[in-house]
Amino acid sequence: MNRRRFFTFGAGSVAAAALGACDSFGPKSATSLLRYAERKNERLERWLFNTGSRNDFGKGARLSGRAFPRYFVSKTIPMWNEAERGMWRLEVGGAVRQPLSLTLDDLMKMRSVSQRVDHFCVEGWTARAEWTGVRVSELARAAGATSDAQYVDFQSFDSDYHESWDIDSALHPQTLVAYGMDRAMLGPGHGAPARVHSPVKLGYKNTKYLTRILFMPTRAGGYWSDRGYEWYGGV
Amino acid sequence: MTSSQSEPSLGSPANALSPAAGPAVSGATTEQHVHPRHHWVVRLTHWVNVVALGLMITSGLRIFNAYPAFARRGETFCCYPFAGKPIPAALTFGGWLAGARNWHFAAMWLLFVNGVIYVAFIYLHGEWRDLVPRRGDPRDMWEMVKFYLFARRNHPHQGKHNALQKSAYFSMPILGALAVLTGIAIWKPVQFAPLTNALGGYVWARYWHFLVMLGLVLLSVVHVVMVFAVDPYSLRSMITGGYDESKSPEARNARPFFWRRPRPAPRSEGGLGT
Repeated sequence: MNRRRFFTFGAGSVAAAALGACDSFGPKSATSLLRYAERKNERLERWLFNTGSRNDFGKGARLSGRAFPRYFVSKTIPMWNEAERGMWRLEVGGAVRQPLSLTLDDLMKMRSVSQRVDHFCVEGWTARAEWTGVRVSELARAAGATSDAQYVDFQSFDSDYHESWDIDSALHPQTLVAYGMDRAMLGPGHGAPARVHSPVKLGYKNTKYLTRILFMPTRAGGYWSDRGYEWYGGV
Repeated sequence: MTSSQSEPSLGSPANALSPAAGPAVSGATTEQHVHPRHHWVVRLTHWVNVVALGLMITSGLRIFNAYPAFARRGETFCCYPFAGKPIPAALTFGGWLAGARNWHFAAMWLLFVNGVIYVAFIYLHGEWRDLVPRRGDPRDMWEMVKFYLFARRNHPHQGKHNALQKSAYFSMPILGALAVLTGIAIWKPVQFAPLTNALGGYVWARYWHFLVMLGLVLLSVVHVVMVFAVDPYSLRSMITGGYDESKSPEARNARPFFWRRPRPAPRSEGGLGT
């Protein structure tokens, strides 16, 4: 009977703990375990990452068009104010032989790519658009990224928004600095004048309102990565 | 029917031979019928699975609540009538999307490794024989349904599990494997694009993942209800491993919510023939 009472009591306690844990963040002591799992998952994901992987859908598939959500972290839509800040330029620097400072015209004169790909949001939805822009790998080549460039930080003028990437994902052929969306110039709700877009990373890794691409030997976290979302965020 | 012959009635030899029913005596006789039923590996993986599945389902529902729908932006989705309605927070775990994702992507290893250990163990140790479907199973399942619906007097004869249990316990690891497969398809829809495409694309893969979860929830809920409604004595066998055969549903002729008191077992199985 004692044993039975022990088990009854034990099962009751476990059930109570489980119910009490509902809608909670879970025990604080689990944080280090979750971090450990994330590090191990990242190692696996980077090992799985295949530069030959492609996201593609047929020409006939419908694009999301106006249903493509707009998103930014500032209180209002970030707009580049030329009167205050001068002409917008994309800086490419860090571990490179030849830092670049590109106007939108400069960018548009580079070899461009148009691709219809999915946008994978961390929330679980996807949207489809046709993106036009320059491959990050093209920019890395133009700037002469060195072997120190193991990570890339994509910085923006949307408050302090930025996200750093592993170099392999950044150099994936479907990772673009996009200035066009659905055959029009990128709109202010989608990151104008230029943004990062890639199907190999979750949406929050794709910095909008891009100002700077910094090649680095170490990672630099990111806006959402520093707030609890996975740093790797690979798809 | 042999099963009707083994059905106890007041005048049956089994009852006539039973000792003059002091509780202590009958207690001693039932203890003799306690046999080891579940190996400790099965018991351990069972309870680890309770934790792992619980974490995966509740954190998964919290992830789902970030976009409680299936349609791609700008499109419609045929087959989910509750689009836009979040799952009640009390059924979720993780607190917010990132927290739930962290739990989901950590607990998935617990579920996966535990599942692999369980399946490998029952394969190597022979328990799979009690679960693998056999040709007579559909008929036996039908007989069980008839018995549960009072369309049949006597509990069908069974082995370790009845035919309905067998089908449920056999489905569980299959659904688990499907959960892993559909989960990989929505975790890495670009790296494993062929897998995701084979499931109909990301939107459908996410839907299959959700349906598999519903299947696991359904099986688990029915399983727990039936444990308490038909065979509460089996709880002991999943904790200490021992099972009292004289209290089995077959021995008690028990239907869900209709228990018969355990009866003293016949002295020998050949009793009817002699």
